[in-house]
Amino acid sequence: MKNPAIIGQSIPRLDAPSKVTGKAIYTDDMKLPGMLYGKLLRSPLAHARIKRIDVSKAKALPGVKDVIVGADTPGVKYGNWRLVPQSQDELPLAVDKVRFVGDEVAAVCALDPETAEKALGLIEVEYEELPAILSVEEATAEGAGLIHQESKGNVSLVRKIDYGDLDQMFAKADYVREDTFRVHPVQHAYMEPCSSLAQTEEGNRVTLWTSTQTPYIVQCLLASTLGLPENNVRVMKVQIGGGFGGKMELRPWEFCAAFMSLRTGRPVKFTLTRHDELAYGRRRHPMTIYSKVGFKKDGMLLAKDFQVMLDGGAYNAMGPTATFLCGTFGNMLYNYPAYRYFGRHVYTNKPPASAMRGFGAPQAAFAAETQMNMAAEELGIDPIDIRLMNAMQTGDVIPDVATISSCGFKESLEEVRRISGWDQKRKNKTPGKGLGIGCFSFISGGVFNWFNTKYNFSAAEVKVFEDGTAQLAVMACDIGQGPDTVLRQILAAELGIPIHKIRLISMDTACTPKADLGTWGSRVTLMNGNAIIEAAGKIKAMLRPVMFSELDLNQIHDLAFEDERVFVRANPKKGMDFAECVYKALRGREGEPLTARGYYTPRNKGLVSPAFSFGAQVAEVAVDQDTGQIQVEKMYTAHDCGVAINKMSVEGQLEGAIQMGLGYALMEDLVMDDQGRTLNTTFLDYKMPAAEDMPPGESVEIETYEPEGPFGAKEAGEGLAIPTAPAISHAVFEAVGYRCMETPITPEKVLRALGKIK
Amino acid sequence: MAKRTIELIVNGDRYELAVDPWRTLANVLREDLRLTGTKVGCAQGDCGACTVLLDGRSISSCLTLAVEAHQREVTTIEGLAPSPDELHPIQEAFVQHGAVQCGYCTPGMVLAAKHLLDNNPAPSEAEIRAGLSGNLCRCTGYNKIVDAIGAAAKKISDTGKEA
Amino acid sequence: MMMPHFTVHQPDSLEEALDLLGRHRSSVKVFCGGTDLLIKMRSGALSPDHLVSLTRVKGLRTISYAESDGLVIGGAARLAEVGKNAEVKKLYPALAHACSVMATVQIRNMGTVAGNLANAAPSGDTLAPLLAYGASLVAVERGGRRQIKLTDFFTGPGLNVLEPLEIIEAIRVPDPPPRCGSAYMRLSARSKVDIAAVGVAGFMNLDLDGKVIRCRLALASVAPTPVRCPEAEAMLEGQKPDDTLLAQAGAACVRACRPIDDVRATASYRRAMVQALAQRVLAKCYAQAAGGEA
Repeated sequence: MKNPAIIGQSIPRLDAPSKVTGKAIYTDDMKLPGMLYGKLLRSPLAHARIKRIDVSKAKALPGVKDVIVGADTPGVKYGNWRLVPQSQDELPLAVDKVRFVGDEVAAVCALDPETAEKALGLIEVEYEELPAILSVEEATAEGAGLIHQESKGNVSLVRKIDYGDLDQMFAKADYVREDTFRVHPVQHAYMEPCSSLAQTEEGNRVTLWTSTQTPYIVQCLLASTLGLPENNVRVMKVQIGGGFGGKMELRPWEFCAAFMSLRTGRPVKFTLTRHDELAYGRRRHPMTIYSKVGFKKDGMLLAKDFQVMLDGGAYNAMGPTATFLCGTFGNMLYNYPAYRYFGRHVYTNKPPASAMRGFGAPQAAFAAETQMNMAAEELGIDPIDIRLMNAMQTGDVIPDVATISSCGFKESLEEVRRISGWDQKRKNKTPGKGLGIGCFSFISGGVFNWFNTKYNFSAAEVKVFEDGTAQLAVMACDIGQGPDTVLRQILAAELGIPIHKIRLISMDTACTPKADLGTWGSRVTLMNGNAIIEAAGKIKAMLRPVMFSELDLNQIHDLAFEDERVFVRANPKKGMDFAECVYKALRGREGEPLTARGYYTPRNKGLVSPAFSFGAQVAEVAVDQDTGQIQVEKMYTAHDCGVAINKMSVEGQLEGAIQMGLGYALMEDLVMDDQGRTLNTTFLDYKMPAAEDMPPGESVEIETYEPEGPFGAKEAGEGLAIPTAPAISHAVFEAVGYRCMETPITPEKVLRALGKIK
Repeated sequence: MAKRTIELIVNGDRYELAVDPWRTLANVLREDLRLTGTKVGCAQGDCGACTVLLDGRSISSCLTLAVEAHQREVTTIEGLAPSPDELHPIQEAFVQHGAVQCGYCTPGMVLAAKHLLDNNPAPSEAEIRAGLSGNLCRCTGYNKIVDAIGAAAKKISDTGKEA
Repeated sequence: MMMPHFTVHQPDSLEEALDLLGRHRSSVKVFCGGTDLLIKMRSGALSPDHLVSLTRVKGLRTISYAESDGLVIGGAARLAEVGKNAEVKKLYPALAHACSVMATVQIRNMGTVAGNLANAAPSGDTLAPLLAYGASLVAVERGGRRQIKLTDFFTGPGLNVLEPLEIIEAIRVPDPPPRCGSAYMRLSARSKVDIAAVGVAGFMNLDLDGKVIRCRLALASVAPTPVRCPEAEAMLEGQKPDDTLLAQAGAACVRACRPIDDVRATASYRRAMVQALAQRVLAKCYAQAAGGEA
């Protein structure tokens, strides 16, 4: 069946007018009567025992309303992996020990931010410094000190995948290579620094406005750390200035705002600075990746042994999921008769790494795709041909993990070859210029219930009214990626009403249906979209009796909902206005509104995701051989995101992903000293691409129809952050012969490889 | 170090305020006038989210003392649209071209674009990109912002009027 | 960090500004754009009790050029204004280029050339071009004025010879002779919008036979202060430059620098870049001078 016309259109964001006029309200824009300003005291040391804290001078400062330390709190550990309670390793404020430079030690709230800041300086903390462990090698070395007593060898989690006969396949291989890659840490660098505002009502109920991608997770974990019933915590809608995975956990300032609001009876707001974010914030995992891969001489893949150490920093955060997905994406894209993954999430005394756009996959793909190019080079096979030979296709099965229900990977490879002029340009090479390829696959939401929710993964509530309008309530949140528009498109398509006739209530844990696990893992469109379709189906079922009785329809008739009308599909003239239909349906319901709920939870969809996106990207670069400067001249992308619901949004995701991928490859890096301190804590020195750094792009959407997705849609945007770095790296190799095994790719490394500097 | 009484002309409205001399314009706009469309992304003049126009020039309001704006004209994002139900052509182009995602950089981007087009009504793509040197965005990859500014320039010159 | 507390004075005249400096001599700083100063103050590096703003001082923003005098840039002239000035663009292209690519649009709309000099960051973008043009500055205090050659001005990172109660009234740049060329090239290791990891400025003028009469080279970001390269300059003077000579001059420039490793680049990369950029800058200067372009 053909999709309704609104699916696939480029509909401008419905929230854009409020954002271009400055009316959109973000958390730090809010100010409530009597509001207090909170500040956090952080550890200056990477690893130390807290011997004594004295807050008396801070408390005595006029204007200070509350000062708390770990001992004042209920001391309940938290972490997103509720399913594995021993993985919950974090406390809102440190007790006994600090584990990274920036670990939160105390919090102050005062009448104004300046007084709060001054009070921080009056808190006396006596530390006993412990040796700081700053690399995975040190952390896992024999006899290393323990960062968490419970985690032997500083390994917090291990993930293994093992299928096929690895030894036998390597024995059959004509060509085997082993490489070790090291990838560096980068940050989300969302433009809105985190901010949280809590207000207390009726004694022990708390409302929280906060920069989060996961309101439901924050509600649950905040309730447990406060020692309150879940129902006493309400997390509410506010605009979020970007997230990219960096705002998907309960964070100490959220706890402190709520806890201090309960203690003082006044609203309390915490807002981080950019320094806080860059120096102490979550980041993408640095990893050490060993990969051994075996091929037949014709290029057919036989086996891969993929061993990864993730530098997790001081706490698990979302590291366990990154450890899982790194393994999953170590072998995605290609068929491996045998694959073994051994991933270890290692504690170090550094700011915790966590989820960041791609969640373990960008690192895995940098290694896997680079190694693929190295093998192609040595086997004398074109890098695209070797991929086509091994590429995954619809129906392929990854043992114990997934069955691929739609896959446009081969088409992506062929299209990107065409639009980039791959064959001609490789034939007529210009010195200093090169084309490189990188590919990706990504999940459309996770299957694995690590949060251990009792509710559905996603839910929607639809109400329709006699004026022909509707209301959609979802807990899903728009952090800039656009679901506030896309989800309404889906409902508009289902009910056949214009998008502007749908009011949206989103991201309010008290009045949107339970539950939604939030915005991460590219889950919202598929999961919430399916829930909306189910809810809309129930509404339509409520309207059917009206149509059948009013128009005296035959049992075999099918109804259509289009153009604000409900009519017999085979005979469009026979029907009535949608509004009239709703009006009639409301009669005789004794005032009961027309409301329906729909849900989605992936069941029997393997271990990872109900659907996977695929794609291929080619980077075209020019390298100045005197300066080592790398100019990315153009990016070509062909990708399969199923049916794009909003083309403009998909393009926006692609272009944003290229910015992040290019920054990852060439510019961004968190530089740390030997004391565990981050050195580049301003945007002057943490350099992400500006408008002038962005290359033009050309892209093709390979339209497949994903049977599990709403209107055939699946993931778009997160996966696109994966291929850019390996593609650029490959292009640099083609241009000047420098193969980057340790990211980022810098002009200096290029010049060293060219022998121009020692 | 007493408070200073200053007069700010913001979006055509005159305000008399008593401010501490060390407070920034961004802070006074947001906290005292509650014009929260001006965002603070770094407070170091690196990200451009706090861009406002001071006597028509784009500046970082996080690095400008409020007292320095005494008796000067300040335009914030709230003052750009010609009327409550109309958008400025730059704002309109941002909406139509998908130049807005999370929206946090948007007010600063729009005002940086205003400064650019006021000084160069028909910029090339390279000039638009250079004109955004002081504004970071993490969502859009900039290309749709660049497209939007190009389209706005054309619209402004076609209609021959500048709001 | 919070901003320290201070009083701001906004005089209308230079005399008044100098009086204010004198009156608050124990703890006072002059500022104009504030783009460097406020960051230093917020970080706690500086906390004067008084600030004297030059933004309202009349006549201090002038940019004027006359053949007799050369270029005079007022102490409050903003970077953007200098970069856009028609005469600067025509006669002092290296300076115009520095003023139109450094930092960001907003910072250039706020900051001043004098402030860039006073801040004395080794990476300051106007420093090398002004050194190459043989600029000097006029410092004024209550007792009178003095002219300081820019080559004598910088004493270390963030340090210069200005007395605490002196104000930079103007920057004077000599009139360019005929058959001259000048250029500034900067390189950052990462984004196009970045602090320069290396900057090289050059100035050259030729005699009628095409021999170099005068050459000045200045390097930014590769030593505690911006530096001139007398050895390289001397190698070129009296010669007709060819590729070999330019490469040798580049190598001499490398000998003039004392770079460090920092988060922006390593010392060895900076050295290599001085060589590469110096050659390119000199080639550009020579082509301009020989081609009769300004």
